[in-house]
Amino acid sequence: MVILREGECPGLTAEVIQALRSQNVRTVVDLVSSDTEELARKCALSYKTLVAVKHVLLAQYTAFPTNGADLYEELLSSTAILSTGNPSLDKLLDSGLYTGEVTELIGTPGSGKTQVCLGVAVSVACDLKRNVLYIDSTGGLSASHLLQMVQSKACKMEEHMEALRRIQVRQVFSVFSLFEAQQDLRSSGFHQVAGGSGSVKVVIVDSVAAVLSPIIGSRQTEGLSLMMQLAGELRTMARDLGVAVLVTNHMTRDGNWAVKAGLGRSWSHVSQTRVLLQRVEREGAKPSGLRTATLVKSSRQPSQISQEFDLGACNQPQDLLPAPRDFRKINIHYH
Amino acid sequence: MMQRDVASFAFAPAVKVRLISAGFLTAKDICDLRPTELSKEAGISQQEALEVLQEVRRGPAEQGAAESRLTALELLEREQALGTVITFCSALDQALGGGIPVGKTTEICGAPGVGKTQLCIQLAVDAQIPGCFGGLGGQAVYIDTEGSFLVERVVDVATAAVQHCTLITKDTEQREALQSFTVETVLSQLFLFRCHDYVELLAQTHLLPDFLSQHPKVRLVVIDSIAFPFRHSFEDLSLRTRLLNGLAQQLTQIASQHSVAVVLTNQMTTRIGQNQSMLVPALGESWGHAATQRLILHWEGKHRFASLYKSPSQREATVPYQITPHGFRDVQLPDPSVTPADPSLTPSLNSRKRPRGEEGDPSDA
Repeated sequence: MVILREGECPGLTAEVIQALRSQNVRTVVDLVSSDTEELARKCALSYKTLVAVKHVLLAQYTAFPTNGADLYEELLSSTAILSTGNPSLDKLLDSGLYTGEVTELIGTPGSGKTQVCLGVAVSVACDLKRNVLYIDSTGGLSASHLLQMVQSKACKMEEHMEALRRIQVRQVFSVFSLFEAQQDLRSSGFHQVAGGSGSVKVVIVDSVAAVLSPIIGSRQTEGLSLMMQLAGELRTMARDLGVAVLVTNHMTRDGNWAVKAGLGRSWSHVSQTRVLLQRVEREGAKPSGLRTATLVKSSRQPSQISQEFDLGACNQPQDLLPAPRDFRKINIHYH
Repeated sequence: MMQRDVASFAFAPAVKVRLISAGFLTAKDICDLRPTELSKEAGISQQEALEVLQEVRRGPAEQGAAESRLTALELLEREQALGTVITFCSALDQALGGGIPVGKTTEICGAPGVGKTQLCIQLAVDAQIPGCFGGLGGQAVYIDTEGSFLVERVVDVATAAVQHCTLITKDTEQREALQSFTVETVLSQLFLFRCHDYVELLAQTHLLPDFLSQHPKVRLVVIDSIAFPFRHSFEDLSLRTRLLNGLAQQLTQIASQHSVAVVLTNQMTTRIGQNQSMLVPALGESWGHAATQRLILHWEGKHRFASLYKSPSQREATVPYQITPHGFRDVQLPDPSVTPADPSLTPSLNSRKRPRGEEGDPSDA
């Protein structure tokens, strides 16, 4: 439904647009779907001009198909796998977070979602030396805690400061500020040299449910449309900018006290990978840092596999990621 | 900026629908037009067209994005400049990493009579302790929804706090600061708001940013309790969830932008499982995600304990505490000369709460 503007293509002058408007043809779709001969007659325009304009517009606005082999080549050269900083979680996620995809963490309050997000941010900033964009809507980002985690990895003071400088923080408190933050990233993303040290490699949104839940529900459809708009933006951002997107979501209870992920069924289709974090409840034991991560949705691994890990053990220094099991699997990761 | 979809801007739904059906899909399509042209094309009024253009043309600098975009290093410097509000119970302060953090929201849950209001009153006094004694030297806002705020209790707690500071005064700077830290000043720097239902509470929260801009010395906002207005006679539960989530976002924004510590009190409710019933914080599952930090106060036998259940930077911990005539304090080690932690010896204020019985809370709305 793009509006016709003069100068968009050689034949489209102001008079032509005026004439088309009088026949109620305002957008590209209207022009392309109308009968050219009849339109030429009614508007007193030359048939050739109209056909030429139509061809140019079609060429400009059509989507081009591509074949699987090209897509595979492109994927091999552009996808990277980022370690989350926690070896058990990496194993669960098939070596880590994939760029170009949206990964979602769900869990009850206190289950460790923010902690895992911080771990990912520190791991990417320290080990991979890439920028991180951390969009925080809950106030759960504590810079002193980040510093503690960074200090446990690197030894020198300058490295700590360097790593902290690579983590950009945006505090958003409504869905519109979240859109603005994404737009800023996109507009600055085009100026980044691909693969250079200034490029953002992972975008963490903690939490997306906090900004969306005040507007979803009841009969207003505006909230739902904003949620799907956000979903579309996250996915296109992941694909276009080649970043890994990590979001966190609430858990709520349904009528039978069973837990389910928040934001409803529509949102569950947005992420390609979904991980459920749970506390490990042992009878009579004190609360500890142990958590279980279960892979609830994945396009690569069998679902419902789980790993136990200790929140406090995130970011222990670790060596290379596990070797690929299958030569066809994508195995490119930055060092 | 130019590629942003029209659907992602904060316009009224009717205006958005008209803009999109007229063919304007991205910001680029709109920003070159004049208001009269836009209103004619899209079929919206001149006033609406003007507002739309202002919103679309606003550059990132004017949106205040510059101040909301920081690196973690700058955030660290900012955080270190803020302080914490101490609770006068050193074990709890240690578990919390110094006290209740400024700039974040903390939720305190507990059964009736366990000491939530006592802790809130203690915090309201502690926020005013002068900087040279390790406090913040700020003012406090207390929003009371239950009617459980008693001025006499504040006088008791403030007197004890002033006495404590007088005893530990060492140098002239502290002596001078003590001149301005008396029971009268504590009471005069505590702003009390009384909200009778949820509408008043929502309105008060909307007006709070303006109030805080006019009183920049406020360092603590207490809402005691946030559960009470939302629990009784609320038929539409999904509306309740939306309102609570919106309230949580507003409070987090207030805490962050005005550098105040926001403390919310919550009640407990009974969840009936398969074979057992347990006490869980009220207001539902999604409310659990609202506050940044969660502290649960509970009984174990005759003793009171505070558990840090959810925190972005501290490990989980459980510490004992007691309520004395002086306020919220540590549990002293057993000593014959010191009064043991016994609920029957707490001030008469608490005698209206029923004495400690067995586990579980059968009477809950």
